[in-house]
Amino acid sequence: MSRRFAVSLAGLALVGLSACAGGDAPAASPAATDGAGDAVSGTITLYTSEPQAKVEELIAAFNETHPDVTVDVFRAGTGDLTARIESELATGEVQADVLLAADAPTFENYKDQDLLMELDVDTAGLLEEVVDPEGFYVGTRVIPTVIAHNTTAITTAPASWQDLTDPQYRDQIVMPNPDVSGAAAFNAAVWLLNDDLGEPWLTALAANQPVIADSNGPVSQAVASGAQPVGIVVDYLVRDLADAGSPIAVSYPSEGVPYVYQPVGVFANTDAEAAAMAFADWLVSSEGQQLAVEQNYLPVRTDVDSPEGAPAMADLELMEFDLAEVQQRRTEAVELFNRLFQ
Amino acid sequence: MSSAVTVRPAPRRGWRADSFTGVRVIVWLVTAGVVLTPLAAMVALAVQGDQFALLGSEDVVVAARNSVVTSLASAIGAVAVGTYLAIVLDHTDLRGRAALRLFALSPMFIPPFVGAIAWLGVFGPTMGVNRVWSDGFGAPLWNIYGADGIIFLLTVHSYPLAYLIIGAALRRIPSDLEQAARIAGASGVGALRDVTIPLLRPALVASFTLTFVSNLADFGIPAIIGLPERYYTLATLIYRSIQSGTVAAPLSVVSTIGVALLAMAVVAALLDARVNRQHTELDSTAVVRHRLDLAGARLPLSALTWLAALAITVLPIVALATQAVLPAPGVPLAWEHLTLDNFGRALGLRSTQVGVRNSLMLAGLAAAICAVLGLLVGLVTTRTRARGNALLNGLAILPQAIPGTVIAVGWLIVAPTLGLFNTPWLILVAYVMAFLALVVQAVSAPLRGIPVTLEEAARASGATQTRALFDIALRLAIPAAVTGGAMVFLTAVRELTISALLRSPGTQTLGVAIFDLQQAGNYNASSALSLLVTIVGLLGIALLAGRERN
Repeated sequence: MSRRFAVSLAGLALVGLSACAGGDAPAASPAATDGAGDAVSGTITLYTSEPQAKVEELIAAFNETHPDVTVDVFRAGTGDLTARIESELATGEVQADVLLAADAPTFENYKDQDLLMELDVDTAGLLEEVVDPEGFYVGTRVIPTVIAHNTTAITTAPASWQDLTDPQYRDQIVMPNPDVSGAAAFNAAVWLLNDDLGEPWLTALAANQPVIADSNGPVSQAVASGAQPVGIVVDYLVRDLADAGSPIAVSYPSEGVPYVYQPVGVFANTDAEAAAMAFADWLVSSEGQQLAVEQNYLPVRTDVDSPEGAPAMADLELMEFDLAEVQQRRTEAVELFNRLFQ
Repeated sequence: MSSAVTVRPAPRRGWRADSFTGVRVIVWLVTAGVVLTPLAAMVALAVQGDQFALLGSEDVVVAARNSVVTSLASAIGAVAVGTYLAIVLDHTDLRGRAALRLFALSPMFIPPFVGAIAWLGVFGPTMGVNRVWSDGFGAPLWNIYGADGIIFLLTVHSYPLAYLIIGAALRRIPSDLEQAARIAGASGVGALRDVTIPLLRPALVASFTLTFVSNLADFGIPAIIGLPERYYTLATLIYRSIQSGTVAAPLSVVSTIGVALLAMAVVAALLDARVNRQHTELDSTAVVRHRLDLAGARLPLSALTWLAALAITVLPIVALATQAVLPAPGVPLAWEHLTLDNFGRALGLRSTQVGVRNSLMLAGLAAAICAVLGLLVGLVTTRTRARGNALLNGLAILPQAIPGTVIAVGWLIVAPTLGLFNTPWLILVAYVMAFLALVVQAVSAPLRGIPVTLEEAARASGATQTRALFDIALRLAIPAAVTGGAMVFLTAVRELTISALLRSPGTQTLGVAIFDLQQAGNYNASSALSLLVTIVGLLGIALLAGRERN
């Protein structure tokens, strides 16, 4: 093995790096949109389960409004994030300033442990369902879990959750692992608590032997590639892939869709409160929500339209649930899920 | 300071302070600190956590069984393939041996997790070969997910090392022995079977234990090929426990599992030592190369070996390239769909750029630290005589026999105490521990070969022991240390097992960045990055080939 090789390896990597650096460097905004001149600055650490590319776009857009705030990102699945936060708590304090991740119960837990700071965010114009009445967190996009199918392999799409228990879908279904995906854990609880579905439905679904992929990303890929032509997955990924050309389509089940709303919260021990609040506020602002829609999410603002191809919020049948009960029984639901779907 | 001129580094009775003692003490402290601290912490936590009942729990038992099955099967496979290659490439008149050797070695230049991503494109349920096969026969040929896929990939990525070890041993066996057998009436194959292969046994065992231990620790392959089917090995179980918090008190749980892994590695090392004790070195100063004439089998064997080597090199690259130029999964391969966007998107991600920067920085620093520390360890253990030298040498090369997962768990436990939690330096110290042996082994032989007379001349001219050692032995061994450091760099820059467990915000390595894209389901982008890593690796082969030709 040669020194020359090592040098050329390093060289190549550097060339690759510099060739692409600057490609999406946030344009230092020449005109900060408001004339208020409240130049917020500082560095915040964001823990999020947003896809890497989306969160980087989001920060670039945020920096057009707030060029002096640096956002360091740590991206992982919600399960991985909560595990990290727990181990940080055990050895000291939480390293993150802002958490932007899947589901409200996670935030309820942190609120109960007094880890969150009350938000200073303008909630006018937001959907009522996504705002914490006590003001410690606020939803940033509506993310329903839906049924996706591969349009080459499946001609009549499953129209309801009940349809999925039909034996014709045996070995055809793929869904995310609730140990990893916060949305999946949340859904498990919502399904379990739903009067029409509940444990009998989960048992019947398990009988069809779905493949349990790690998170929503691999689920959507499996459906698009046809590995399993039917998937239980969050809706925006399906639109992303369809936009890119994959043979994939979505159906919103007739019983209603469980949904999470990717809340944002600020940790109480933050040392960059102003920057963290500016970030949270921007996420639910008109600009932030426009970007969310461009990124194929359903918006939390009533004055911003759904992305193309998605139902308007008013037409969307959301599955009702009691947040406290979901929070209380989530662990039980995940355990049941793991037992049934082993 | 003694004024008497020492004729040689005299055997010292008892402990005597001299000018070199300071260096010796520092080398001892640093090496022991880097190697023993995490291991001690892990064992202590396991004992104190008292989770040994957990070793009997179903999850752990199943994962342990899976680990042993996949590592054993792949180690056996690697040794079998390695032996075959050593014999046909170094011992017969097979066609095109020199070029074939490079193709056969190619998996060594590709990180295992990249190999997993690539082969997924060949034998994934709806990918490459299976897609074509399904169209023709209605069902996939072979689904790579699960145990058989893990065994296949671990074998592919460990046989080159087995081949190198076995090939080196084979070249040391004098062909007089085989010729004697031939004269006594044995057939060519008979002589090979009854004379040469038995003499290879120590090399077979050495390559078996080495590949067994490294496969036991491998994280990327079982994570990418096993997790989607919920097929856990100990390495992925540890990762899940820590990263997803699937158990309460994850650290004491994983330290217990780590101790179990350590025990397996110790058993492998003991087996190796036992066999090697019986081994007598053959004198092969005058080896007359004599190649076995394959006669009628020459063409079919050549064709078969070439086909296999080409398949192993070319198929994964084609699969990666295909995925890298398609915009989304499920899009048919056709001219109008091809795009280079995936490269731009993957390289444009900040996570990729930070990953590349971290990998270069950590690998560079680890290489520098290992080169210096390894050189000093080599200097102390080969050029001076002291009671603990063998122990120091053993300590420095011990981590080579320890699965990377265990090293990472150990450091994870001591991180908060040392203030390394959430810093890149945690990965750095783990790299230093894991790869120090590469330098120590690289410098030991050249250091031993330096004549004592040079140092004696220096001492006679009035140099202190330290001065003599530093000016002569150390300087002469610097090229070897640089080579060792380069090996550390190359190993560390593409590493995943350790950095996946020790990652924290902003400290992801290139390996982790690619792994994350893959885990998040962004296969087209992860394939694009993997393809770049593969091309860089294969350029390494080309350079190597160019050097050989010179």
